[in-house]
Amino acid sequence: MATTVEIATPRRSAVFHPRPIELAIVSLSIEGTSAHTNRTRKLAKDLKSLMKFLMITFLLVLGSAGTTLAGDAQEKSVALGLAKESGRLKSRFLKATQAVTTATRAIPKANVAYFHQSVVPVLNRSCLGCHGPEMSEGRLRVDKLDADLLTGSDVERWREIYNVLSNSEMPPEDEPDYALADADRGNIVDWLGDELNKASLIRRGKQEHSSFRRLTKYEYNYALQDLLGLPYALADNLPPETASGDGFKNSSELLQMSAMQFETYREIGLKALKRATVSGNRPEPVTYIVSMQEEMDTATSGKEDKTFDQSDESYGRNRKRQHLFNRETGKGIHFSGGKSMPQTDAATVQTPPVSSVVLALPRSDELKLNLDRFLPDEGIMRVRIRAGRSTMNADEYASLRLVFSAHTSNNANFSQVISERDIPVTASADNPQFLHFDIPLGDIQRNPFRKLTTTFPRRDEFLHIRNVSNAGKAEEPLNVLIDYIEIIAPFYQQWPPQTHTDIFVESDKSDEEAYGREVLTRFLRRVWRRPVTSSEVDPFMDLYTEYRPGFSSFEDAMLEVLATALATPEFLYLTQRAVTNARNSAGLISELELASRIAIFLWSSIPDAELLKLAEQGRLTEADVLSAQVRRMLADRRSERFSQNFVRQWLGMDGLDSVIHVTDSSLKEAMHEEPIAFFDEVLRSNRSVMEFIHSDFAMVNERLAAHYRIPGVHGPHFRKVPIEPQTQRGGLLTCAAILTMNSDGKDSHPLKRGVWMLERVLHDPPPPPPPNVPEVDLTDPEILKMTLKERIADHRNKPACISCHSRIDPWGIAFENYDAMGTYRTQIKDQPVDATSQLFNSQALAGMDGLKRYLLTDRQDQFTRALVHKMTAYALGRPLSFGDHADIDTLTAQFRTQGDHLGDLVHLIISSKIFSSR
Amino acid sequence: MNNKSVWLSRKTFLRGAGVALALPWLETFSADGRDADRTPKRFVSIYHPDGVGLPLKSDPAWKDWSWFPRGGEKNFELSKVLDVLEPLRNDITIYSGLSHPAVRKVHGHSNADQYLTGADTRGHGRYQNSISIDQVYAEHAGEFTRHSSLVMSTNGGIGGPRGAQTQSFNREGRPIPAMNKPRQIFDMLFLKSGKDAAARLARSKSALDLLINNTRSLGRQLSSHDQETLTQYLDAVRDTEVKLAKAQKWIDTPIPRVDTGNLHMDAEPREARLYFQTMYELIYLAFLSDSTRAATFQLGRENGEGPHDLLSMAVGLGGAHGLTHEVKKPDGWKNLGTYNRYQAEEFGRFVQRLKDTPEPTGKGNMLDNTFAMHGSASSSFHLSRNYPIISAGGKNLGFTNGRYLKFGQGNEDNQAGAGILSDAGWRGDIEADELPLAQLFVTILQRLGVETDSFAGSSGTLNRV
Repeated sequence: MATTVEIATPRRSAVFHPRPIELAIVSLSIEGTSAHTNRTRKLAKDLKSLMKFLMITFLLVLGSAGTTLAGDAQEKSVALGLAKESGRLKSRFLKATQAVTTATRAIPKANVAYFHQSVVPVLNRSCLGCHGPEMSEGRLRVDKLDADLLTGSDVERWREIYNVLSNSEMPPEDEPDYALADADRGNIVDWLGDELNKASLIRRGKQEHSSFRRLTKYEYNYALQDLLGLPYALADNLPPETASGDGFKNSSELLQMSAMQFETYREIGLKALKRATVSGNRPEPVTYIVSMQEEMDTATSGKEDKTFDQSDESYGRNRKRQHLFNRETGKGIHFSGGKSMPQTDAATVQTPPVSSVVLALPRSDELKLNLDRFLPDEGIMRVRIRAGRSTMNADEYASLRLVFSAHTSNNANFSQVISERDIPVTASADNPQFLHFDIPLGDIQRNPFRKLTTTFPRRDEFLHIRNVSNAGKAEEPLNVLIDYIEIIAPFYQQWPPQTHTDIFVESDKSDEEAYGREVLTRFLRRVWRRPVTSSEVDPFMDLYTEYRPGFSSFEDAMLEVLATALATPEFLYLTQRAVTNARNSAGLISELELASRIAIFLWSSIPDAELLKLAEQGRLTEADVLSAQVRRMLADRRSERFSQNFVRQWLGMDGLDSVIHVTDSSLKEAMHEEPIAFFDEVLRSNRSVMEFIHSDFAMVNERLAAHYRIPGVHGPHFRKVPIEPQTQRGGLLTCAAILTMNSDGKDSHPLKRGVWMLERVLHDPPPPPPPNVPEVDLTDPEILKMTLKERIADHRNKPACISCHSRIDPWGIAFENYDAMGTYRTQIKDQPVDATSQLFNSQALAGMDGLKRYLLTDRQDQFTRALVHKMTAYALGRPLSFGDHADIDTLTAQFRTQGDHLGDLVHLIISSKIFSSR
Repeated sequence: MNNKSVWLSRKTFLRGAGVALALPWLETFSADGRDADRTPKRFVSIYHPDGVGLPLKSDPAWKDWSWFPRGGEKNFELSKVLDVLEPLRNDITIYSGLSHPAVRKVHGHSNADQYLTGADTRGHGRYQNSISIDQVYAEHAGEFTRHSSLVMSTNGGIGGPRGAQTQSFNREGRPIPAMNKPRQIFDMLFLKSGKDAAARLARSKSALDLLINNTRSLGRQLSSHDQETLTQYLDAVRDTEVKLAKAQKWIDTPIPRVDTGNLHMDAEPREARLYFQTMYELIYLAFLSDSTRAATFQLGRENGEGPHDLLSMAVGLGGAHGLTHEVKKPDGWKNLGTYNRYQAEEFGRFVQRLKDTPEPTGKGNMLDNTFAMHGSASSSFHLSRNYPIISAGGKNLGFTNGRYLKFGQGNEDNQAGAGILSDAGWRGDIEADELPLAQLFVTILQRLGVETDSFAGSSGTLNRV
C-alpha cells in the first residue's frame, strides 16, 4: 500500500534561493520569518475557524432540508469557495504597492556565499586531485572557476560539471578515495541547478525585445480574410510557427522570414485576390433541384408497389430506415438518394411551397446525391435544404453535415467532410426552414477525372447530406424531414460580388490611370492600416503602367500590383516607427500603430474602418473612446479568435493534437473546445480568474458531459452547466484536454502534469532536465512491482534528480485521480488512488481538491501575476524582460484591486503604458 | 536486344556534352562549390502497378515464374521473370522484405500513391499524402538544371486519390501532374520558347525592385533594432531575386539539341514497345543534357482498365491487370511472369544505355552516377507487402551491386502471402517482419547528397545497402 511520499527537503532551510523573479512572490510566503507572514498565518487560522463554523451551520441547514448530498464533497466545495475569499485577503498586491515593487524587481543575484561555505570543501575533497594545480584532467581546474555564474565567464564549464555530477559520471567509480557522498552530490547539483537557471534567466531577461514582428500564420490568414471579405482558410501553405519558451507563437524573435516564406506570401496574395474578384459576365450557375415530391412520384411509378403505410404493423421497423414519406397520406417508401442532373431552365426556378412529401432522415443516415460531373471548378456551391424536425423533444437534437466523395475505380475512392460546422435543424416539421451551406469548390478534393471524355475512371461526384444527431431509441425517434434541396454553383449573392466592389470600387472608370490610382490608394490604406500619401502610391502606379500592356484587362493587371502590395513589409509586419513626434519622444507608438496592436490582440487581425478612423482623428487615446472600442471589439465575433489563440498557446494545447489515445473524434474535439469555451465564458461574463482554479460550473456539450458523467446536457453546443462537487470538475485544471495531453497515452503522467502546472499556471518553469537522464528500468522486477507513484519516488530519490523532481512531481501527483482520458478514478489496478503529496515547502496537497485549495489560499498572487504576465506577453507579441516586471506588478495590483475580473484585465492591459510603448 | 534502337554515337554524345558545357550550372557550381566535381547525381524511379507473380512453392509454376531470385546475397539465381537482367547482374541489386508500414493493411489497388512518399494514405475517407523522394531530391538539386524534375506516366495527369497516375507529390502532399505524350515531353524539354516565362519573370523582377525600395524607406523610420529584423525580410526578397536571376539565365541559355533518332513522338501505349522505348529515351536524353536530375515514370495505373492497361500487348497478352487475376488459369503464372519479364527487359535496356554512355564530365559512365529503381507497391495479388524492387547503378554514389538483399524476418523464401487467389487475400494476417522502405530512401537521399536522417517519419538508413 502506498503512503505519502516524504521528500527530503533539500537544503532549503539553510539558505533559500528565491527562484528568480516569479518565485520571489512565493518566497515571501514561504520564508516564514517576516512579521508580515506571521500576520497572514494568524489571519488564515482565524479564517479556518470561521470556515468551520460556517460549514457546520451550512451542513445543519442542509441536513434539516433532508438533503442526502455527500457531505464530504459538499464540505470541500464550500471550503474551496471560502478559500477564494481567504486567499484573497493574503494578497500582497492588495496592500501597499511599494512592497510589491521592491519585492519583485529584484534581479537575481549569484549565491557565491553558499559556494564558498558548502561547495568548495567538497570540490577540494573529491575533485581537486585530478582537476587542480597538480593535475588538470580535461584542462579543467575547479579551483580556477568563477563562482559567479551570472556575470562570470565559466558558465559552460559549470554546465559540464553539472552534467557529469548529475549523471554520477564523476568522480570515477574506480577512485574510492574521491568518492562523493550522495548528500554532497545533491548539494552541489542543487546549487548549480539554481545558479545555471538564474544565469539563463539573466541572459534572456537582459535582452531587448521588440514588438516589431511579422504576423503569425494565423494572423496573416485572418488579416487576409478580413481585408478581402473571404471567410475561408487562405494561408494553409505557410509553414507552421514555433512556440516560444513561454508557449507563444506570436513571439517576435521566433517569427522568421525566408525566401520560401516570402514567395508563398506572394502566391497566396495573388490567389486570394483572384478569388475575391470576378471578370466578365455573371456566369450561368449550375442548379440542381431535388424535390421529394418528384422523387416520390418516380419511386412509386414502378409496377411493383413497394410503398408502406404508417398504419402497417411493420411501419415501426420501416421508418427506422431512410424513406420518403407523405405526411398527409401516411404512405412511405425506402429511399437513399439518386442521380441528379442540373436544371436547364434554372433562371426560372421558383422555390415551391412546402410539400407534404418529405425525406425522413434518421440519425447517422445520409442522403447520397450523385451530381454527375457538372459542378464548376471554382466558386461557391450553395446547398439550400428545407428541413424540419419530426419531433420537438428538447433532449434531442439533429443537425446536418455535408460530405463530398467520389469512387473513381475499385479501391480508388475518397470522401471528406466539406461543411465547416454542422447546422442544427430547429424548425418543426409543420414549419420547415431553409438552412444553407456555402462550400468553396476550388478548395475541396474533387474528382480529377470529371472532365474525361471517356467513362472510365468514373467521373461522377457525390454530395452526402448526413443527419448528425443524438436521437434516442424512443418509440417515435427524431428524424430530419427534408422536402426540398437546391444546389447552386457558382453562387453569387449579387453581381459583381461585394468582395469585388470593395477592391474595384464603383466610380468613374473612364480614365484607367485616375481610376487605378483611386483603387490603389484605397487598397493601400487598408493594407497598411494608415492613410497613404500620393507619393507612396506612385511606385505602385509605375508598376501598374509597366504591367498594363501585358494584360487584356485593367483588372488583371491591377491584381498583380495589388498582390505586390500584399507582400510589402507593412502588411506582413506590425510596425512601430521611430520618427520624431510628441508621442514618440515619450517612447509611445502612434495611435494608428496602437489601433493595429489592439486589433491583433483582440481579433488576431487588422483594424476595421471604425478603429482606423478614430486613430486617424487622434481620439483613440481618449480613455472613454478607447474603452468603448475595446468593449465593441470584444462584442464582435472576431474576438473569439482571441479566446481561441490565447488559450491554445497559454495552455499549450498543441499537445492535444499529438494525442492519439483519444480515438473518438467528437470527444477529442469537445476536449479541445472546453478550455476555450471556459475562458470565453469567464471573459464575456467578466468573472474572476479564480474560476480558472475552481468553479462551480462547467462548460460542456453533450459528448463531454457524458465523459464527465454530468446528466441532462443535450446537443453539440457548449453551454454553462452548474456542477455538483461529485463530478470532480470545475476550473481549467480538471479539463480533459489538460489531463489527456499530459499523459503518456496509457496512464497519467505526473511529471508532465507537474511541469504543465509550473509552466502554464504558475509561470515558474522548472529548468530543463539534465542530459542522459537514466530511463526507469522497467525490466527490473523490483521496479515493476511498484505503483507509478512509488516508481516516481524511487527515481526522484536519486541524488541527481531529487532537486528538480521535488519541485515538480508533487504538483503532478495531486492530479492522480484523473487517468489518461481525464476520467475521475478512485482506484488504479484494484488499489486506491494515492493522490496525496507534499510540496518542497512541506505543504501537503491532498489530491486535486487539496491542490485547488492550496492555490486559492496561498498562491493567488502568483497565479494572477502569472496570468497577467502571459496575457501581456501575448498582447505585445514579445517575451517580457526584467525591465517589464515593474509594469507587470503594477498591472497585477490594479487587476487584483478591481477584483480579478478577466474582462477588466483586457481593458487594463490595453490602457496600460506598456501596451502603448515602443 | 532490339537493333532498331541505335546507341548514341560518339558524335551525338560529343554534341550533347558540348551543349551541356554551355549550361549555366558550371557557374553556379563554381560560385558556391557545392558540387566541385561537376558530375551530376541522378535519381529515377519506374513504377509498375499490380505487383508480380508469387506462386506457392508447391505450385509447378514456382520454379520458373516466381519473381524473387533464389539463393544468397551474391550467388542468387534469377528465375525466368528476371533472367533478362542476367547480363547486367553486376549492375543491379534486388531487394525483398521492404514495404511502407503505414499502409500494409490497405488494398494494393490504393497504394501506388504512397510508393515514393511512405504516407499513411489509408484505404478510404479523407486523403492526405506527403512529399515523394524524387521531389525531396529535386528541391536539393533542382536549381542546377533547367527542370527540377521530370514526371511521367503512361496515363498522365494526377489520377484520383488512391488511384494515382503520378509518382510525384510536392511538399504539401499534392500530386504533380505527370506527362504522358512523348511529343509534349520532348517539346517541354527541348523546344519550349519560354516567352511567357520571360514576361512573368520581368514582372516579378519589377515587383521585387518596388518591394526593396519600399522596405528601405520603411527601414529608415525604424529603430536600429527593428531595422535588423527587417533585414531578414530584405534578405528573403534578395534571395528570391537570385532565384529569378537563375531562372532568367535558363531562359537566356540555348536549349540543348539532342539526337531524336530513337524517339517516336506519336507513340501510344498500345504500341507498347515503341512507347516504352521512347519514354525511356526521353529520360535518357534529359539526363544526358543535364536538363534534370530527378525523374519518375509510372507504367499504367493500379486496377488498370482501358487503353493504358494494354502495355502487355507488347508480349502478345491481354490487359495487364487481368493477368494478376488469372494466375490460376492455364499458363496464368507464366503470362503474368512474361509481362513482368518484359518490364524488366525494357528497364534493362535503359540501364544498359546509361552504362554504355560515358559521363559527360568524364567520371565513369552515366549509370555510375545514376540511381535507377524499378518496383511496385504490392508483391502478391493486392498484397501491400514485400515490394518487388530492383535498383541499378549508383557506383559513384556508393552503391555496390550484384546482390540480392533480403531484409526483415520470417519470409526468407518469399512465401508469405504467396499464391493469394481471392480478392480478399490482401486482408490476411501475415506473420513476417518487414523493414520500412523509407530506410532505403534515407540511404538513397544521403548518397545523393541530401542531408537528412529520416523520411516519412521513419528514421535511419538501411544496413548492407
